[in-house]
Amino acid sequence: MEIPPIVLYVLVDFSIYLIVTLSLNIEVGYAGLPQFGRVLAVLTGALVASAIPGRILAAIYGYPYGVEYSSYEYNYKVVDAINRVLESNPALSVGIFILTLIIAMIAGAFIGYLTSRPAIRLKEAYLGITLLAMGETLMLISYYYQPLMGGTTGVLVPDPFRWAGGLRFIVATFTLLTFAILILIFVELLTKSPFGRVLRAMRDSELAIAVYGRDIAKIRTCALMVGASIASLAGALNAFYTGSAIATTYTRVTWTFWPWAFMMLGGTGNNIGVTLGVLVFVIVKTIIVTYRGALAPFVPFDPVWLEYTFVGLAIVLIAIFRPQGILPEKPIFTLPRRKLEEFLGRR
Amino acid sequence: MLPVIAIAKAVSYASSLALMAAGITLIYMCTRTFNFAHATFVTWAFYIVFALVFIAGGNPYMYLPVAFIFVGFLGVLVYLLVIGPLLRRNASPITLMMSTLGVDLVFLSFIQMFADYLTRTYKLYARRIVLETYDFSLLGIPASAVISPIIVVSTIAALHLFLARTKFGTAMRATIENPNLASILGINPNIIYLASWLIGGGLAGLGGALASLSIAGDPTVGNSMVVSMFASSIVGGLYSINGSMLGGLLIGMSEYLGILILSGIVGGWILPYRPVIPLIAMAVTLLVYPKGLAGINWPRLLYRIGVIK
Repeated sequence: MEIPPIVLYVLVDFSIYLIVTLSLNIEVGYAGLPQFGRVLAVLTGALVASAIPGRILAAIYGYPYGVEYSSYEYNYKVVDAINRVLESNPALSVGIFILTLIIAMIAGAFIGYLTSRPAIRLKEAYLGITLLAMGETLMLISYYYQPLMGGTTGVLVPDPFRWAGGLRFIVATFTLLTFAILILIFVELLTKSPFGRVLRAMRDSELAIAVYGRDIAKIRTCALMVGASIASLAGALNAFYTGSAIATTYTRVTWTFWPWAFMMLGGTGNNIGVTLGVLVFVIVKTIIVTYRGALAPFVPFDPVWLEYTFVGLAIVLIAIFRPQGILPEKPIFTLPRRKLEEFLGRR
Repeated sequence: MLPVIAIAKAVSYASSLALMAAGITLIYMCTRTFNFAHATFVTWAFYIVFALVFIAGGNPYMYLPVAFIFVGFLGVLVYLLVIGPLLRRNASPITLMMSTLGVDLVFLSFIQMFADYLTRTYKLYARRIVLETYDFSLLGIPASAVISPIIVVSTIAALHLFLARTKFGTAMRATIENPNLASILGINPNIIYLASWLIGGGLAGLGGALASLSIAGDPTVGNSMVVSMFASSIVGGLYSINGSMLGGLLIGMSEYLGILILSGIVGGWILPYRPVIPLIAMAVTLLVYPKGLAGINWPRLLYRIGVIK
């Protein structure tokens, strides 16, 4: 079976961004927090994937695993040797893959807890700027502090899909897609659960939810931890898929503002809408990327910038003309009276 | 001891930051919008000055008014097309902030296209702008270290005169304090908001044009400075233009000189972490004393520490 590469490209972009945008939707759409630092948690996941699995395997198989692991002189040799081990050992590949994802989710939850400290004190735009600043700080640290992500040269990430041989990209793509679908189901169930209803209630009226005896600080902390842990998973998956990581690719534009644009287009507070929004955006982006070459002779600039114009314009136009997105958030209806009576009668 | 040239550079950088922060504060006070497009406003000022110096010739200082007017006009455009309609729909502060981020992305792409255009049409290397060499020397130090503080002081004076002594300035203060009451008295808040974006954008343009004389620019120079601008504005207290100017000077100086002093103590590896300084200043202000510099009761503080009796 032959799958055109462009379809795989769209599926990968869709899966990664769907996970990130869903995590953003929990925090922004349901909890009403101005999460302008999504890149922080995504980068955490990527850091885990680029610093931990390679070191574990290097330690087991007797390669340098200290500070020198991520230096550009050793890194490509060590990771190449590790990849050859992983190629012949699918069980080890899958094991290290799952272990890294678990560590990434724990690290993400920890980062979420850290961001919740200012989040329970500050409000609205102040909080947004603080979160944005935290993301920038981690980006700087991972760009200049070599032992984490190789600093300015980046690192290679061990490839847990190598055993699939020629089918590597197909296996990796469908693994990502499976994770994205699982996360979608999880987030949908979570937001329909009592916890999800508490989040919405807090978003709509903090006073009311406090009157009903809920601790707002605790709810916010929970929302941020769950969101960050999911986003961190996406970061780790992205690093595993691309096989390398460098801090400069984790900018606030690609990992904070794009997910915001996807979420606003699809419908803030509606997981199915968000899925649709990500799909539409990813397809349009791919079309721009594919056909920008054809446009090049007619314009006096590099058409690569049109992607930014498009995302920016989309954010502005949606904010002005359709703030509720393609699929607006549905109000929660109580059960019809007949059903309620039936239910009470049965008791 | 720090070299004189470093102090001179720090002064001119801090002055330009003060002007940008004043723009952010003015726009926030009037329209409750954290203007992220300030980043590309500043970058546009860099590119306007660069293009004019290389195409029309002359000195960067000649084009300060052009940068002020051009970027002020961009501010007006953003208000008329985006912020105005959103304010009329009672958009939340988060929506307003997000839409300025969208505007920022659009402007960023326009700057990149403009840089490509300059490169292809005029054969200029527009990906890295260095205008420092066009600055002349005054008393042995770069002129921008003398001229920039003068511009900051005269801007403070002009804004003070404008807000305190003119009828329009009084109307502006009234609208900031209570838009509904002001509109009952026949003041059109739309005009006030428009003026705030004109002046705020203009200040960003002026700050950017001055900054082009002290730092090198590229299409993302404003985006790398925007966190410093917000930090200055927040350290200044967000509700006072003079406070934000003071915040800008403080952040700019501590960023530029603080990192030099620190690198002397702990070693050169710390130099790249310079952007962390404004972030820490901002976080400390927000968590410890959110009223900022403008909220401090200065006479009482000076009395307490014994400076005045």
